[in-house]
Amino acid sequence: MTPARCPLRASHRRSSPSSGEWRLCSLTWLALVAVPLASAPLIAQRRGDSPIAPSSVLGPATDSPTLSVLGLAALPDGSGNALSNRNEIWMGATQPLLKLGNVRLSAIGSGNWQARDAVGTTSSIEGLLSLRARARFGETHIWSAASYGRADLSTDAGAQISGIRNTLIPPGFGASVLADTTVSRRFDVGNLGRVEAGFLTNVSGVELSFGMSIERATRVTTQTLTINEATGSIPMASAERVQAVRTLRSTQERDIASSIASMGFNTGTTQWLISLTAPVATWVSTDALGVKPKVPPAIASLAIAHPIAAWLSVVGAASTNSSSVGSIALRDEIGDSRYHRFAPIVALGLRFTQLPFRGRPDDTPRGILSFETRTIGAVDSATVEQGAPLADGDTLRVVLLIDAPRAESVELMGDVTEWTVTQLTRAKNGRWRAELKLSPGVHRLMVRADGGSWIAPPGYPVGNDDYGAPVGMIVVRRKP
Amino acid sequence: MNPIVFTVLLSLHSIAAASRDTIPREGFQQIQFDASRFDSVTAFALRNLLDNAAGRGLPTGPLVSRALEGAARRASSDHILKVVRDHAAALAEARDALGVESRVNELDAGATAIRSGIPRAALRAIRASRPVGSVEMPLTVLTDIVQRGVPNTTAQDAVTSISRLPGSDEALQGLQITVAKNAIRGPGMAVDALNRYLRGTVQGIASPSTPATGDRKPIRPPAP
Repeated sequence: MTPARCPLRASHRRSSPSSGEWRLCSLTWLALVAVPLASAPLIAQRRGDSPIAPSSVLGPATDSPTLSVLGLAALPDGSGNALSNRNEIWMGATQPLLKLGNVRLSAIGSGNWQARDAVGTTSSIEGLLSLRARARFGETHIWSAASYGRADLSTDAGAQISGIRNTLIPPGFGASVLADTTVSRRFDVGNLGRVEAGFLTNVSGVELSFGMSIERATRVTTQTLTINEATGSIPMASAERVQAVRTLRSTQERDIASSIASMGFNTGTTQWLISLTAPVATWVSTDALGVKPKVPPAIASLAIAHPIAAWLSVVGAASTNSSSVGSIALRDEIGDSRYHRFAPIVALGLRFTQLPFRGRPDDTPRGILSFETRTIGAVDSATVEQGAPLADGDTLRVVLLIDAPRAESVELMGDVTEWTVTQLTRAKNGRWRAELKLSPGVHRLMVRADGGSWIAPPGYPVGNDDYGAPVGMIVVRRKP
Repeated sequence: MNPIVFTVLLSLHSIAAASRDTIPREGFQQIQFDASRFDSVTAFALRNLLDNAAGRGLPTGPLVSRALEGAARRASSDHILKVVRDHAAALAEARDALGVESRVNELDAGATAIRSGIPRAALRAIRASRPVGSVEMPLTVLTDIVQRGVPNTTAQDAVTSISRLPGSDEALQGLQITVAKNAIRGPGMAVDALNRYLRGTVQGIASPSTPATGDRKPIRPPAP
């Protein structure tokens, strides 16, 4: 993948060269930045839910019901103007629907609201609804999704759009400087349809994800123009001028294929996500009077989440371009050359992972827009039931029970299995079960769910951190 | 194989063989390890380390377990060898602190504690608190609560105090659970929970079932 070259080399236009391109992929970048905000562990024992890449382009890997809200204030918009920034609120929810054999279906909703800032004149609101199917084969998840979204943008009086003068001056008036044209009000309404597919796998504790999406976006722009023009053929300062009001409507249509690759991993309880997203091919058609946006560049993002308490995490994100954050579905200024340059942004915030009126870990709202995260099953708790001594008298029958209700597989390894991976079986009550024959004493073992990170059984003593995560210790005592 | 590495390993092997001949083995059952889980160079180096440990009278079972753990978790050869070497040194220290009569599991727990930063004096204090019984459980609990943020001296005092009680393994287990549950709210909460538990278990001042925080189910230790 050569991100810098992809957009232009692969693009072609269906309309005249004067037509512009525009892109609607805000949710992609928003999600990329927001990914690690989504699934930071509550405690060390829950590191199994480390983040994984997918954005809205890649699609979610979680099947848990989620609901989350994130606000971002005064984010520099990358234009270089210190006074120009964006204030946004993001929301998201995931709801599992049903399971058909090995395939799980879930619905995902997400939204974004951008408020006007001190110097800006634009606000926007977006929403996206997705139906996603996911299947798991070993440690690899394969998924696909179809989405439909809608975005609205309004621009208040006074905003000027460069390049519009030439097209609006009536023939015969000569130079465009004769007319002073402003946009008194403008509305943009956009629709987005998207299909996507990809896979997600775990290699040595590093979660890798790759995917492709194809989306079609349309936009209808309605502009109310106030034209203050001279009546004479010779421009004079004292010439009589006539003010005219016109309403223009233009349409744009754009198809784009994007690719995304990401890598997620943990260092201690800190979660990291590195992502790279690049447009592969674009096809744009637009009316001659339409605004002239361009394709955003390939963007690399880094996101970090570090839990500082059971219910609170510090999150940070950085991106090589501001277009990776928030609503840009209808932002035509993305076409400005400044947005193609390296215009990094950094965001910092807090994430609340537990609501005061919901106590159980299962009820913890997870995810920032929820759709972008991986929440492969987590080991919630572990129980050791000790049975009677076996016939040899030296060993006891011990049953290890694991609560991991969302997991599709649970494994253990330890000195009890000579450090070979052993699958647990799912009991009728939904708990995962392993029957062991152990001698009295302390035994070292670790568990993991869905091929995630190896962790100590929650609540049990931990030993040294020799290889990246502490080992759990279970104590088997000879009954008196 | 790199000839330099081979030469170094051959030298190590010769030294280990020589030491094996001169130092009599002592009474631990020595465990063989599955060399097929490692590459040949690592297996060779591990065999030397294990022979050397056995020659010094140290149990090899805990060392084999560390090596297998490293292989299972796909650690590098250098990392595995370092962990095994460090643990062997810690086993020797633990034997000095706990006494030569200590069992394998006790030495392993002691070595784990030492590698977690617990001083040898703490091991001696715990052994003194249980001159006859096993110190495996106290050492395991001590290591765990220190790992969860309880200061070393506080943890040592608490574990030593409880260890002196007859049949105190259950009380120690209760201490570990209490600290683990509260540690996720911060080290301060863990220490607070430990102190409450200790008062209830050893001194009988306050009800040990009083939780450190209001939204947790109480952990009731066994009756002393």
